[in-house]
Amino acid sequence: MSPPRSIALVGAGLAALSTCDALRAQGYDGELVLYSAEHGLPYDRPPLSKDVLLGKARRDDVLLRPEQWYDDQRVSLREGAPVRAIRPAEGGLELADGTVEAADRLVLATGGTPRPLPVPGADDPAVHLLRTWEDAERLRARLLPGARVAVVGAGLIGAETAAVACALGCLVTLIDPVAVPLAAVVGDDVAGVLHRRHTDEGIEVITAGVERVERRPHGVLVHLGGDHGPVAVDTVVVGIGIRPAIELAQAAGLVVDNGIVVSEGQRTSRPHVFAVGDVARPDGHRVRHEHWEAAQRGGEAAAYGMLGLTVPEPGASWFWSDRHGSRLEAVGTMAQAERTVLRGDPADGAFTAFGLRGDRVVAAAAIDRSRDVKVARRLVDRGVAVDAGRLADEGADLRVLLR
Amino acid sequence: MSTTGTGIRVADLGGIEEGEALKVSAEATGHGDAIAVFHDGGAYYALDDTCSHGQASLSEGWIEDGEVECPLHSARFCLKSGVPLCMPATVAARTHRVEVHDGGIWLHPGEEATG
Repeated sequence: MSPPRSIALVGAGLAALSTCDALRAQGYDGELVLYSAEHGLPYDRPPLSKDVLLGKARRDDVLLRPEQWYDDQRVSLREGAPVRAIRPAEGGLELADGTVEAADRLVLATGGTPRPLPVPGADDPAVHLLRTWEDAERLRARLLPGARVAVVGAGLIGAETAAVACALGCLVTLIDPVAVPLAAVVGDDVAGVLHRRHTDEGIEVITAGVERVERRPHGVLVHLGGDHGPVAVDTVVVGIGIRPAIELAQAAGLVVDNGIVVSEGQRTSRPHVFAVGDVARPDGHRVRHEHWEAAQRGGEAAAYGMLGLTVPEPGASWFWSDRHGSRLEAVGTMAQAERTVLRGDPADGAFTAFGLRGDRVVAAAAIDRSRDVKVARRLVDRGVAVDAGRLADEGADLRVLLR
Repeated sequence: MSTTGTGIRVADLGGIEEGEALKVSAEATGHGDAIAVFHDGGAYYALDDTCSHGQASLSEGWIEDGEVECPLHSARFCLKSGVPLCMPATVAARTHRVEVHDGGIWLHPGEEATG
């Protein structure tokens, strides 16, 4: 396979920009073109459900890279240029306006779109989704003090949005059909403490599914399953996951199954076509890794893959989530663990749960204990055998376990 | 903390534990940003405290093997050169010279660390 001379990236989120950075860092000298359906310089999405909604961050504060970076790295950004089709056979792509652009490698970084609530009335203008800068701007205008807000879905985006709405003085109802959301990922202990925090902060938490949304002269009624009465609100925010934006891949005949299926180096089923970020699903994994760092690592892996270099081991996954002034961090998936060892007291709010298989740490989740997570991550990656008593002993310095 | 022509005495020798860092405030450094002084592998290093990527304090980072990992997004920097070693950081952190003498750790804000 001849080395690439021109690379086109469809999408301009973290995964796409990370791909560009890694390509340049590895000495790629050819053309790099980013096709962004949105306008303006590409931005980072995590702040959208935090500082952007709070009104603490403007667009300039959340740019993924400063304007100068595009010149320095010779990355050409085509804003407001949605791609209509990719043409792997001819080595190129077609823009919405019919223009055809050539590239000898294609990177699909199309991300996803928020899953809409699959019930009648979900298309009411009071019902908001949150994925883009424009979504956040629209929603922010609705989160006024005293506004009645229902948040549907208490996962990461939903929990963060509920916490922000609460901090802004809204009257918040948080609705999820699962009694303790996130438990499979972060374990029962951490998930339980996190979820109870919503109630402590004055959010009304309801365990129920939504059946329909009904328009009223002022706002909407959210009808719930079971014995729950309807909830009258001004604004509804839906955070129930995303649908991967697979349309271009599908139309081009790539293998797609809950995302674009990728093998090592983020290779899709078509030669010269790669996929990164939320839209990609690593072959052999059931789920897509829809996290910030996973997007970054996928970008790096794609760069190595395109350049024919050995792809570095990804190591344990990691994510964070901020709500009610606390930070959740998790490494790996608690569902992988046979047993849990706690460090610190859940009653204090800040503690760590280590998930063990045999004498190895395979996962960890922590509230406001970043240092523990840093250790956990290294314990997982290095496969260190540990003494559970030591993990639990607050008097023992965990770093010793790594030496 | 005291200032002399030879820099700022930020701590007594032994005042920063191995694998730990001390944040020296912007007022104390007179440098516009706080500076983090790191103790790793028996040596001392100093970098601008604010991560070149986000709004995080590198003094709260994870220090190991000549590197510091940012507490917020896990960017890693070389303690000696300030060079970013992985994403998301792409811009180097400024280095500052640190000396050990007279039973103290001395920081020279604005003077690049050498070799």
